[in-house]
Amino acid sequence: MKKIIVIIILISTLAACRRNVLDIPPQDRISENAVWTDPNLVTAYEANLYNGIPHGFYIHMYSKYSDEAINTAPCCGANIFAQNTYNPDNITQASSGDFWGGYMYYWTQGYQFIREANLFLAKMTAPGSITVTNKQQLIGEVYFLRAFMYFNLAERYGGVPLVDTVYNLGDSASFVRSTFDQVVTHIQNDLNAAKPLLPKRILSTDVNFGRATQDACLALWSRVTLYAASPLYNTSNDMAKWQAASDAADSLLNAGYSLYSDYRTLFNQPSGSPENEYIFSRQFTTANGTQYPMHNLGRRYGAYGGWWASNGPSQNLVDDYDVATTGEPPFKWVGGGPGAMTAATQVANPASGYDPQHPYWNRDPRLQATVLCDSGVYHGDTCFEWISSDGKSWGFDSYKQSSDNPEGGYILKKFMPDAAPLNWSTTYTTPWPFFRLAEIYLNYAEAQFNLGHEDICRQYIDMVRARVGMPAIPATYTGTALWNRLVNERRIELAFEGHRFFDERRWLIAGDIENRPLRGMQVIKNLATGVTTYTPVTWLQKIPYTSAMNFLPIERSEIKRDPKVTQSPGWQ
Amino acid sequence: MKRCLLSGESGYSPRRLLRRGYTPGFSFFLLVFLLSSLPGFAQQSITVTGKVIVGDSAIGGATVQVKGRREAVQTAPDGRFTINVPKGSRLVISFVGYTPEEVAAAPSLVVQLKQEAIQQGSEVIVVGYGVQKKATLTGSIAQVSGAEVAVSPSPNVGASLAGKLPGLIVNQTNGEPGRDDPNLLIRGMATLPGPPGSPVNSGPLIIIDGVERSGLTRLDPDDIESISVLKDASAAIYGARAANGVILVTSKSGHRGKTVFDFNYNYGIQNVTKIPKMLDAVTYEQVYNENQFYKQGSNPATYLPFYTDSVIAITKSGSDPVNYPNTDWVKAVLKSSHVQKIGIQASGGSDAVRYLLSFGSTTQGGDFKHVPDNYQQYNMRLKLDADVAPNLTVGANISGIFSDGTYSSVTGQTDLGGPNGTAVTFIDILQANPTLVAVYPNGDIAPGRLAESPLLLDQEGFAKISNSSIYSTFTGTYRAPFLKGLRADISYNYDFANQFEKVWQIPAYYYSYNINTKNYDRKLQNRVIQDNDIYNKWTTRLTNLRFTYERTIARRHHITVLAGAEQQYNTNSFSNAGRKNFVSSAVPQLNVGSTAGADQSIQGSASAGAYNNYFGRLNYDFASKYLLEFSFRDNGSQIFPVGKRYGFFPGGSAGWVMSEEKFMHNLPAITYLKLRVSHGELGNDRVASYQNVQSYAFGSNYVFGSSDVPGIYPLVVPNPNITWEVSKKTDFGVVATLWNGLLGIDATYFIEHRSNILVPPVLSTGQIYGYPSLPDQNTGIVYNHGYELVLTHRQTFKDFSYSLSANFNYARNKVINMDETPLAEPWQNATGHPINAGLYYKFAGIFRDQADLTKNANQAWSGSKVGDQKVANLSGSNQISGNDQFRFDYTAIPMETFGFTSIFRYKSWDLNLFFYGQSKVYNYDAVYANLGNSDFSNAMVARATNRWTVNNIDGTLPRSNEAAPGATTLYLKDATFIRLKTMEIGYSLPHSLITRTHTFTAVRFYVSGFNVLTWAKAIKYADPEISGNSTTYPQQRIVNFGATVKF
Repeated sequence: MKKIIVIIILISTLAACRRNVLDIPPQDRISENAVWTDPNLVTAYEANLYNGIPHGFYIHMYSKYSDEAINTAPCCGANIFAQNTYNPDNITQASSGDFWGGYMYYWTQGYQFIREANLFLAKMTAPGSITVTNKQQLIGEVYFLRAFMYFNLAERYGGVPLVDTVYNLGDSASFVRSTFDQVVTHIQNDLNAAKPLLPKRILSTDVNFGRATQDACLALWSRVTLYAASPLYNTSNDMAKWQAASDAADSLLNAGYSLYSDYRTLFNQPSGSPENEYIFSRQFTTANGTQYPMHNLGRRYGAYGGWWASNGPSQNLVDDYDVATTGEPPFKWVGGGPGAMTAATQVANPASGYDPQHPYWNRDPRLQATVLCDSGVYHGDTCFEWISSDGKSWGFDSYKQSSDNPEGGYILKKFMPDAAPLNWSTTYTTPWPFFRLAEIYLNYAEAQFNLGHEDICRQYIDMVRARVGMPAIPATYTGTALWNRLVNERRIELAFEGHRFFDERRWLIAGDIENRPLRGMQVIKNLATGVTTYTPVTWLQKIPYTSAMNFLPIERSEIKRDPKVTQSPGWQ
Repeated sequence: MKRCLLSGESGYSPRRLLRRGYTPGFSFFLLVFLLSSLPGFAQQSITVTGKVIVGDSAIGGATVQVKGRREAVQTAPDGRFTINVPKGSRLVISFVGYTPEEVAAAPSLVVQLKQEAIQQGSEVIVVGYGVQKKATLTGSIAQVSGAEVAVSPSPNVGASLAGKLPGLIVNQTNGEPGRDDPNLLIRGMATLPGPPGSPVNSGPLIIIDGVERSGLTRLDPDDIESISVLKDASAAIYGARAANGVILVTSKSGHRGKTVFDFNYNYGIQNVTKIPKMLDAVTYEQVYNENQFYKQGSNPATYLPFYTDSVIAITKSGSDPVNYPNTDWVKAVLKSSHVQKIGIQASGGSDAVRYLLSFGSTTQGGDFKHVPDNYQQYNMRLKLDADVAPNLTVGANISGIFSDGTYSSVTGQTDLGGPNGTAVTFIDILQANPTLVAVYPNGDIAPGRLAESPLLLDQEGFAKISNSSIYSTFTGTYRAPFLKGLRADISYNYDFANQFEKVWQIPAYYYSYNINTKNYDRKLQNRVIQDNDIYNKWTTRLTNLRFTYERTIARRHHITVLAGAEQQYNTNSFSNAGRKNFVSSAVPQLNVGSTAGADQSIQGSASAGAYNNYFGRLNYDFASKYLLEFSFRDNGSQIFPVGKRYGFFPGGSAGWVMSEEKFMHNLPAITYLKLRVSHGELGNDRVASYQNVQSYAFGSNYVFGSSDVPGIYPLVVPNPNITWEVSKKTDFGVVATLWNGLLGIDATYFIEHRSNILVPPVLSTGQIYGYPSLPDQNTGIVYNHGYELVLTHRQTFKDFSYSLSANFNYARNKVINMDETPLAEPWQNATGHPINAGLYYKFAGIFRDQADLTKNANQAWSGSKVGDQKVANLSGSNQISGNDQFRFDYTAIPMETFGFTSIFRYKSWDLNLFFYGQSKVYNYDAVYANLGNSDFSNAMVARATNRWTVNNIDGTLPRSNEAAPGATTLYLKDATFIRLKTMEIGYSLPHSLITRTHTFTAVRFYVSGFNVLTWAKAIKYADPEISGNSTTYPQQRIVNFGATVKF
């Protein structure tokens, strides 16, 4: 009996033991071999590479890093750009999405995705690699994506190290910065490799919209060549570079795209809506979408606009919308210009017919499409930014009502949905435009201006203005005057699309623009007389802009890790 | 107080009995011992009747056992007993807290018990897979009894351990009910932490009743027999995961005898210990205006104040509490709450079966008026041992911890990347803008900050977390009849824990005063109703088989050999389902939510892990004088690749009990003196698994057209050579008892050399390689050393006795090698400094005016303005940059901790005072630094007082919204403190009174305080134990009233 009990206990215990107890396969991940032998996983791997291109719907939009918007968020990645206090010691604060700067640093993320792209290309071009139905197209897409990743690096840092090899742990390489032109050549090679493998174009209603196309390659090339021809990179003003920029844009002028009729709807309709202007864009779904409206609107919608996101448009931007009837800018600037390191002075332009006490009347329609200002209407609500002259009452959207309202007096309206409900529980599917036809027109206009063809320049600016019913630029505008109109047109048309930060720099006008005080609007209402007065006020004076800020610094310790990689100029 | 005894044994030492002369001589004693243990020797029996007394009081419930046999009885409440014993037997009479007495059996006996004296020999210490006598212990092991832990009824056992166990560092940084687990560290840190988000790898291994278990802090303190901490090579038997030390918890068992009931009740009133004083509205407005002044370019001509003078005047007068209030959010939000604990335990046993049944319940409320915070916990245990056959004992130990926590549904500030989850942060309260209304004069609740007033939280649904954990152990012990001293122990454990979390979010209504219509508009928060059900299940299966052989050869050579094998298998599975847009908020269940695809979400994952181990130990002692121990573990872990999986971890120690030597016998002052030394190798494997293979994870989807396309992304780059982290520990110790217990000394010096530390090479690997994430590599080396000193003193007079015990611990580590790229300046490298030592700029004053700023431009960085901090320019350049940082040698982990326990007894009264403290510890508080920020967050009075302003250019603290290059030493505060952690006054009914009840055997009432008083060196504005920032939930101050009854 006793022995039986002992034996039973022993056997049952030993039965609980396993011979190979330590051989446990991973439960929640896929092994390397499985990935490269399964067409579905290969496709999934490739889809992920698209995430390597930052979109603009993070909490911090690049607008607030420039003079487009006011940044009240005192935290995280954006704060170092709020007052231009970024430097090699704090720049990595902006190395991630949403709160952490919207990938402005991009160095880390960029090279990680470049390695992933390199790995894909190596695996797919290796002998005996897997057969996937649309394999060549996927390879083409990855060449395009790698080119775009390098452009994202180059617009921030200039020439960066070019890496086409997949390194593994323990490998050692000696990286050096290539020149900007070498990066451009690399991008060109990738685009040339991509184009033959890609479809010409995918319509916005197609299930594959958002994938790379030949046109996307051309659009990227147009921007790359335009940058390469710009004063920051083209120090000798090599006309061949402007010609290349012109040719690149030219290839898309008659490619079947057209400007969408309604400037406002273009930016706030859901993914999958019909339009004929976006050349390459990022789509979203409710499962994989963003909450950008709630980061930008104010207390009225239960949003946090004033406090942390606050991509609230600046008075600086609002001032730059032309007067509709005259087609003239309300202000002109004395001083400044390319290369200047001090702010220009703002002077009124009486010819414009601008009325400072009715600042939002009779302006370029793109103002009301982009900026929600006092007495503007959004979602059926009138925006009240006023404060009574005795300070004892105020409008519902004023900063006095709530710290969730913007201090500058303006709320971002571009991209904000008109139909969808506004709350924290909705995810929005508005696509993010990377390239659209209007940009190509303006690229072309810029290249033509620099090639001396001012009439063609005016023609393409006017095409962009005509969409919103703005008068053409009179032929009296030539030379610097026309140049200023071109610069301004790009600022207005592409506002909040992430261009301004880089445009300021490549044009070498950041020393002027960034040294101007960032202003907001004080709206005072005399309740007795009913008269409202508008007074622009200084909201923020950034620290003086230096030419080092034309390029982002690389993290201090990254330079230590790769001793042959030089720091961006001026940041030692 | 109850001593720590192994279940079923009454600890005593034959040696001591001999010395006291209870037996005529050792040889005779041995003879009796041997004879009485021989089976079939006893033929005749006699009946013994007797009485057990202490002084003139009878002792009920004392155990009277026949020496060497199982027969035993318990005394009746009047102290009397009757037992049949073989003639010539000896009886051992024992009672908790008293020295066991041994007497020869006689028909009539009166046995006088004496209160137990402090004596090393009598104590038994729980070690890995067994117990050892403290007298012959050679390892560095600290032990505390369950009774000592139960003295201060904090609802969290972990918090009660602070300062009680020399070498154990307890850091409680959060006081939220149910989420107040402290960080436990043994001898500080000796391993390099992984990058943020990686598993915590410096904590000890916690073994509860033989199995690695997680619920230490949630145990019922009344169920705990003892907690011991293995600090040195003695932990080598736990090999691979023992490098950070091992905590062994042993639960109580039933004892042979009449059923004893223990009942205890405790009611506590709790408050937060200390929260910072925040600015009133007027100061806040001034500070905010100052911020605006600087931002607008510091030009008085164009400066436009955010709060005009008239606004400040109205705020000051308090005449318009609707539009210009002065809200004290702390007062508006906080309340005191209560904690209640009930426990009942029944234990006893017959000859063949011993049992213990216990039930405990804890209820703890939260500290907020409008937060549904509430925590309830039930502990249950059944422990049973049965002698099912001669030589064979089987047992089961089944316990459960069930808890239900209700918290706010609002997910803290997770959007800010904080680690809070659904934990309540004080940020919404402490940083709430005092110019915002909390409650309008008519009683309506205002929106508060971001329309998220903490007063609305009880209307916003809830997060309910329910945990049900069952821990089961089945044991068998077989004493081989064919070889005396050989026993086999077998155990099978199956633990499972289920966690179900429901996060039910509904929008709340609030009122917003409309200044134009003069109405209070009722508004609904702008979010939809949603529910998330999160389910987690963990299991642990552990099978353990071990053989022990114990033998005394030639009377003086005592040998114990242990060999065993152990297999462990863990699993976790997780799923999370959610729906939004509920039809109604009436039913918080998933199926009421919208069925639209966009409104549903589902996630899931799983993991598994295993260990396969072989271990053994050899103990040899010669006449309790010369002691030797050797142990090992061959540890296999699934975390590492084939070929690198098994690690061999040996440990050895030796001791010399000098007081047993003849030449010491003429030194009467020295009662006991032992020298000991130990050395061993231990391992650590607390890193992520599968770092040796390249794998890919799902989750990085991308959208084409209108559909979400699955995306996969590469995980960590493989490191095929990853293997164990190795710790070499060496200890030297002296243990002494002087003047028969008047003074006890236990001093230990230790050295630890940790190598092969698993750290990812993030600091040295250039990002241009583009590795997705880096695997751990066996590269780090850390040196750690320190000492522990324990002094005890105990004195008994007629009616008065007291005992004092002080422990002091010091541990300092140094990074010898870590994978870092040398920084610009040699003094900045982390190598050569303590782990986690941070880089700081050195505060050097305030720029008082423009002249100062111009003159000392080399102490400014690009963002500096007048009123900002000057920073010491260490690199000699013309402007402050990252090169001017230096490595600060103290961290938030204290290098020194100390505990001081004093117990006083006078007649039926007892007083227990327990102090706990830390020093050589610094805390950087970024929230303290924050002042006048544009996010409208409120600031601390301590920070605003004497700040630099235009009118106070000699201010000692920087201006509002200062621009600093990074963390400076100005906000790095010495976190030294001493705390009166526990104070308890108890009254026990005298024995004479108790015996007359014929029901009770002990009754005690007490009043106690937890976290009673704190003295802090520098952090006087907040709880100094909080590390990081002072907006976390502070610890609780609890005043308890309670009673314990035994019957």
